[in-house]
Amino acid sequence: MIYDKPKFLPGGDRFIEMELGDELNFDLNFLVHALTAKIREAEIQGLIELLPNMASIVISYDPDTISYADIKAEILTHHLAMGSLEDMELLSPIYYIPVLYCDHVTRACWEDYCAKITEKEYDPDLMVRLNDLDGYDQLARIHSGTEYWVAALGFYPGLASLIALDPRCRMTAPKYNPPRTWTPKGTIGYGGSVTCVYPAQTPGGYQIIGHTPVPVCDIAQTLPAFKDDLALLRPGDRVRFFPVEREEYDYVERRVEAGNYVHNVASYAKFSIRDYHKWLDGLEMKERF
Amino acid sequence: MIEVLKTGLETCVQDFPGRKGAFGMGFPPSGPIDHWSFRLANLLVGNEPGDAALECQFIGPALKFKAPAIFALTGGDMQAKLDGEYVPLWQSVAAGAGQKLEMGPALTGARCYISFAGGVDVPPFLGSRSTFVLGKCGGIDGAPLAVGGEIPVGVGEGISGRRIKRKCLPPLPNNGKWLIEVCAGPNDDWIDKAGQKRFLESMWKLSPKSNRVGFRLEGPKWTFTRKAIDKAPENGSDPSNTIDHGYPIGAINLGGQTPIILLNDTLTLGGFINPYTVPSCAFWKLGQSRPNEIYEFELISIEEAQARKRAINATCSEDSIELA
Repeated sequence: MIYDKPKFLPGGDRFIEMELGDELNFDLNFLVHALTAKIREAEIQGLIELLPNMASIVISYDPDTISYADIKAEILTHHLAMGSLEDMELLSPIYYIPVLYCDHVTRACWEDYCAKITEKEYDPDLMVRLNDLDGYDQLARIHSGTEYWVAALGFYPGLASLIALDPRCRMTAPKYNPPRTWTPKGTIGYGGSVTCVYPAQTPGGYQIIGHTPVPVCDIAQTLPAFKDDLALLRPGDRVRFFPVEREEYDYVERRVEAGNYVHNVASYAKFSIRDYHKWLDGLEMKERF
Repeated sequence: MIEVLKTGLETCVQDFPGRKGAFGMGFPPSGPIDHWSFRLANLLVGNEPGDAALECQFIGPALKFKAPAIFALTGGDMQAKLDGEYVPLWQSVAAGAGQKLEMGPALTGARCYISFAGGVDVPPFLGSRSTFVLGKCGGIDGAPLAVGGEIPVGVGEGISGRRIKRKCLPPLPNNGKWLIEVCAGPNDDWIDKAGQKRFLESMWKLSPKSNRVGFRLEGPKWTFTRKAIDKAPENGSDPSNTIDHGYPIGAINLGGQTPIILLNDTLTLGGFINPYTVPSCAFWKLGQSRPNEIYEFELISIEEAQARKRAINATCSEDSIELA
């Protein structure tokens, strides 16, 4: 449920976890990011950082500048002033990301895990089986058949948790046990009902289904998209994956390596929750791509 | 400039309070774990308390001064010698060009801080010089010291022979037992009364499988309230699982039955509950405790935690310094 009044849960002398609800729910996540934006705009003295997630916001503050009671009261005022969810609209750029599904990088990573850690079913096979799909083609079609909402950012720098906006394209996947010790940068992962692009070579637990040459985080800031920022995506942004063949994948990879790849983004796009609800209501849920 | 002859065990450049403003992108603050000893080290050499310095962990490095410098060592005792002569802790010392500072394993404590007058002069990344090893950024090339590498030092006006007054030193225990402050929350209501009592009344061993990302604790079992067991499926199946949420620094993060104190280089979010949080006033103790040492936890209020932090901050000032 979405709570009428947020719960404030203290985390030591300088953090607060503000819980807005207790479920995974798009409207709740939208509210989290809309409220985060409001609090950011308010520039509250003594507020240091905001870490919004699925259903909650972790707040860090300087208790020598603002007391726990005062920051709580101030944030509650902004929560009260939020108005109706239906009327909310956010600027929500759409990033287009090419993916080579069920590719050589994915297979090599899976083979390495099987050889060094433990035998497991090939991830795309497991995804096809558990989600009742026809095969790899439908896996690619379903995964690339929807816009994704950036529901959270973090765990590791630049890692965005993406949830499918089209319920017909939602899949589920168990996590690796034990986790992988490494995952190639650019791997497309799926865990629970969340998909992601690995921003760097890191350990990982999501099932892996494809690979993109397009970076989503770059601490060296070489490409134009990273000129002012290190992480491509922010909560409230959207992502659209599109399937490519090896030739196109290699072309993009060369552009990235040459430092002249331009990220494909519709930065004018807005997201209206009323329009989204209207579209959802009109969907024939049994139709599948 | 200072040349690295031996690296020690993951010796890194840190500054205080570390990286701010990028937590939401997935960058934890980093910075020194024992920020009390760290700030005293800087004050000794005439720096600002938060200036960049070195954090040595368990085994210190060997360094060669290419130019005369004023430096100071604080925290754990790593048996430092300057050209073979024992170097006192908690005191500023002059080194001449060509002199070698050689350190060994920590005899007391776990982390030793080396400050240099003028501070370590590396370019800041996202507003901080702190090294975040997991994210390969900050510090010198985003990594611990490397053999043959050089540590750039800024221009400073430190003098030797300044030392910390005895009564202002962090009081390291000598029996390997630590009383660590904790505050309840954010998710203490997932643990039942018996579990809360067990947490606060038991001894916990600091596992050797600990680093600047997290300190793993070994101890008795956890038991849960109805909330942890009877919940929506998206929370996950284990009682310690919850919907992904952000992690406070210092949170005691419970994965299954294993509590991990999330430290300065933590992963910033995940799907496990945080029943308790270690407040910043206890971080110096975390920084100086050694694997297999024992923690007991003292439950204090948020207000008390904030007051104790202010008391530590107050000792990080010129008033704590005398001439040797």
